[in-house]
Amino acid sequence: MKPGRKRVTFSITLLLMLAASLLLSLLIGAVRTSPTDLWDFLLHKDQTYRTIFFDLRLCRALLAFLVGASLSLSGAILQGYFQNPMADPFVVGVSSGASFGAVLCISLGLGAASAFGFSLQSLFAFGVGFSLVSMVYLLSQTQAVFKVETLLLTGIAAGAVASSLTSFLLFLRSDSFEQAVFWLLGSFTLADWRQVGMVAPYLALCLLVAQWLAKDMNLLVLGDEMAQSLGSPVARVRRIFLAVSTLLAAVSVSVSGVIGFVGLIVPHWVRMIIGPDHRYLFGLSALTGGTFLVLCDLLARTVLSPTELPVGIITALFGAPFFIYLLHKRR
Amino acid sequence: MIHFLFFSLLATSPSPQQGIVYDDFNTPFVLTETPRRIISLAPNITEILFALELGDRVVGVTRYCDYPAQALEKKKIGGMVDPNLEMIQSLRPDLIVGFRGNPLGVLNKLRTLHCPVFVLNLGSSLDGLFQTIEKVGRVTRAEDPAKTLVTDLKEKHQAIRAALRNVPKKPKVFLSVYGQGLWTCGEGSYLNDLLVQAGGVNIAGHIPRRWLQLNREQLIHENPDVVIIMAKDKERFFQAGESFRADSRLKDVRAVKDNSIHWLDENIAGRFGPRLIDALAAVARILHPEMFEVRK
Repeated sequence: MKPGRKRVTFSITLLLMLAASLLLSLLIGAVRTSPTDLWDFLLHKDQTYRTIFFDLRLCRALLAFLVGASLSLSGAILQGYFQNPMADPFVVGVSSGASFGAVLCISLGLGAASAFGFSLQSLFAFGVGFSLVSMVYLLSQTQAVFKVETLLLTGIAAGAVASSLTSFLLFLRSDSFEQAVFWLLGSFTLADWRQVGMVAPYLALCLLVAQWLAKDMNLLVLGDEMAQSLGSPVARVRRIFLAVSTLLAAVSVSVSGVIGFVGLIVPHWVRMIIGPDHRYLFGLSALTGGTFLVLCDLLARTVLSPTELPVGIITALFGAPFFIYLLHKRR
Repeated sequence: MIHFLFFSLLATSPSPQQGIVYDDFNTPFVLTETPRRIISLAPNITEILFALELGDRVVGVTRYCDYPAQALEKKKIGGMVDPNLEMIQSLRPDLIVGFRGNPLGVLNKLRTLHCPVFVLNLGSSLDGLFQTIEKVGRVTRAEDPAKTLVTDLKEKHQAIRAALRNVPKKPKVFLSVYGQGLWTCGEGSYLNDLLVQAGGVNIAGHIPRRWLQLNREQLIHENPDVVIIMAKDKERFFQAGESFRADSRLKDVRAVKDNSIHWLDENIAGRFGPRLIDALAAVARILHPEMFEVRK
């Protein structure tokens, strides 16, 4: 099959899967509902069903989609940025850093405040996440040869420090067990239309920027010198990509806590199918990641229904073995 | 907005019982009609609701609500920390009574979904319990049954206090609240009040924290006369008791030496509900058996 045809087929399959998973999310939940109930709601607008289908299930599925898309796009960017297939917002420590930033903001009593039209919580998440990932980048570059292991180990160490600081802050506040679970393992239980409205524009903006610089990313993969000589403003491109990927992770974390491994595995799947061209990789990773997280969240809220699992447990269950597989393959 | 509220109030011509009550977290709650579909988000709230004879109006409880037995037949909406939003919605509640320990995020989320939520805090004393019961009575429009229940509980309380009037000596007590890890109750906790009311001295009562983990050194130093272990059943109590008896470092603690280790049923003492008075009686009997034998 020609690469073009392959991409089209893949995109259509993805869209169909997304539609199917959204429909499943609408139909399945703690309360048993049938397609006729959904039909009834669409016809008669029953208030209770409206809340269940619209405000709880649809809202939640859309938020999961947006977060999944953001994390996967962030992962796809980071993998190109570090030229390292193991990179992902969780692995390089951005997510944990952002989570610490968000919790720090709440602990300072600024959880509801906003500045310059951004929620302060996202700003904190972005600030800490960005500093952390820059630090990881600088530390892993100090050696003459850019080694995969150095990046991973630095990222994991930085993430561990951020997580323990998060736990510490949560420990200081009483009654925070469920908060700790939220911030450390991620959940969409409290999904809200406001959050959907908050994440969507960031994702759209970041996707646009990424798409715009996708060609430069293709050049970066050839090495910085080569990219520079081919006319790409390497330093600036790198800064923008780092900011964009961090912003995506920070916004995701501030609405859903830390959800690991999505950004790691999804770009891989997409690359296996459509190849490494970033002009297509970015958009399709976002689409795949969104669909994937919708399905993971569906599992998270139905496996032990009516109890809900933190969705991070599900993604880790899929992601961690894949991570090990990738490590093994590299050897 | 204000105009809208004003006119809507005029339009509905408020009956005299209408008004606003504030819950324990200062969230205003507008009393309108008598709630008919109540959801309880905690076992103690369920007990209070049933004690106010509102059992018929309760449509949903948590999976931990096992008392009275009729509560077991109600629909389960999940647990205290993980109430399920969909299940709650599907029961079409007109009143949700929450309790400290329910995640604030979930309670706020319910409010944004237009569910009337009234949340009570954990009190620090038996008097606090009476206030909690009265508040539940007010928000459910069951003021009279609440008054009767509180009067009844206060009478029992008085009777126990009367029996304890001339206790010769107040024993030092260590109350183990989880059965392990030396978790106990400090100043400001209702269990501390319970120990004091039952004629004891809580060895952690001077520590200004409601719940805390005592150090083994502190336990040895304070040397309690009595150890009371809260446990769900006798078996768990026995296991927890063994951890005291088998610990050679604790062998000189008076309660261990005298084998004065007693069981307190967690199902009654661990819930901030009407059966707390039975827990008080139970502790009083543990600490001062002689005062109750005389009365028989």
